[in-house]
Amino acid sequence: MIRDARYWLDALRDLDMKRPVRIMNVCGGHERAISVAGLRGALPGNIELVPGPGCPVCICPEEDVFEAIQLALNEDIILVAFGDMLRVPVNVPRRDPRSLEQARAAGADIRPIASPTDAVRIAHDNPSRKVVFFAAGFETTTAPVAAMLAEGVPDNLMVLLSARLTWPAVAMLLDSESPGFDGLIAPGHVSTVMGAEEWQFVVDKHGIPAAVAGFRADTLLAAMYSVMRQLKSGHIFLDNCYPEVVQPGGNLLARTQLDTVMLVGDANWRGVGVIPNSGFSLRPEFAAHDARLAFPSYADDSRKRVGEMPPGCDCAKVVLGKIYPNECRLYGRACTPRKPIGPCMVSDEGACRIWWSAGHRDNRWEGKHAKRAAG
Amino acid sequence: MCLAVPMEIATIDGFNCICQARGIERDVSLFMLQGEDLQPGDHVLVHVGYAIQKVSESEAIASWQLFDEMLATDA
Repeated sequence: MIRDARYWLDALRDLDMKRPVRIMNVCGGHERAISVAGLRGALPGNIELVPGPGCPVCICPEEDVFEAIQLALNEDIILVAFGDMLRVPVNVPRRDPRSLEQARAAGADIRPIASPTDAVRIAHDNPSRKVVFFAAGFETTTAPVAAMLAEGVPDNLMVLLSARLTWPAVAMLLDSESPGFDGLIAPGHVSTVMGAEEWQFVVDKHGIPAAVAGFRADTLLAAMYSVMRQLKSGHIFLDNCYPEVVQPGGNLLARTQLDTVMLVGDANWRGVGVIPNSGFSLRPEFAAHDARLAFPSYADDSRKRVGEMPPGCDCAKVVLGKIYPNECRLYGRACTPRKPIGPCMVSDEGACRIWWSAGHRDNRWEGKHAKRAAG
Repeated sequence: MCLAVPMEIATIDGFNCICQARGIERDVSLFMLQGEDLQPGDHVLVHVGYAIQKVSESEAIASWQLFDEMLATDA
């Protein structure tokens, strides 16, 4: 029997839980669906929905974006990237290109793509030039990059990989002294590829309820109900509220392709730092397609010291669910989708961009100099 | 970036197919769904040009309605 959003809202109210509960989601798609459906306003007042690390563009290391910009500016290559990446700013002096978009305006051959298959086509069409695919993303997006390489690509196509796994950021939060949430809505399409089992540790190691959700209001609310019911009963388990899509084990072939093409190791997250076992890299068998090996001089380790968010930008706190988007001092003032300062306002998956699109125009920064910043 | 969109398969040619949704056609790779029994008329979840999972028609229709709402609110 299909139960609609109204049913789950009534069920949540009937649970009659009084204590405050914070439920984190770790998927920009979830945050967008929650905002579009206005679920925050419809839920009982004790439930807070916290957007967490759900935006791969937002946490793509600054030094990686800088590396892509420098490669595109200084080598005779075609650099391709998903469109979201083109406006991500890096921390450089004003006279220098601050994004791939500005590097393109300065003459670099940079092309937005919608699919890894576009990168293959561009490489085919330009056999005399090297094509570098700057590939950021979480598991859902990285699996197609692995599939592309597993299927075979032209010799002139290389990948500058900046891909991350989602769960290690949640593990880092849960291992910290103040995770900031009592229950987890696990991502629907990451779990479609990797399997819901990736989130079992949340339950087993930390005793925190977790439920995989789809993107419609009914499946999101079902997952919220599951989390609340688990908290009330004390019977904690990993629930799958998106079973019509998320199969046990995920997409086994896609996971095999990922394992065949890539390794997992420690990796830097912009504004967050190194998270163990959170980054993908190409296996040695694919060295011929590794842009980092072909152009080693652009991997500048010294930039890791400046690999933070832009000055005044609280994207790192937003990404980790420590503050809401409109609690950043720049939100809606210096930083808007038209003139973004932080990556969370750039990407369609960024919580700031999503909140702005959903109509949040108020700034609730409560810093000491709030008044001055407002001017 | 992780959002996948359901599409209907129109034609299949090896690992490649043409899919459609809401009047839009796209080339889609079936490389991650090798071994699945897929026919024209079936629905798949598509992410960055790759089908990642087969889905039912009812799931596809419900998702399209959601995406219409999401696109309508984008600034």
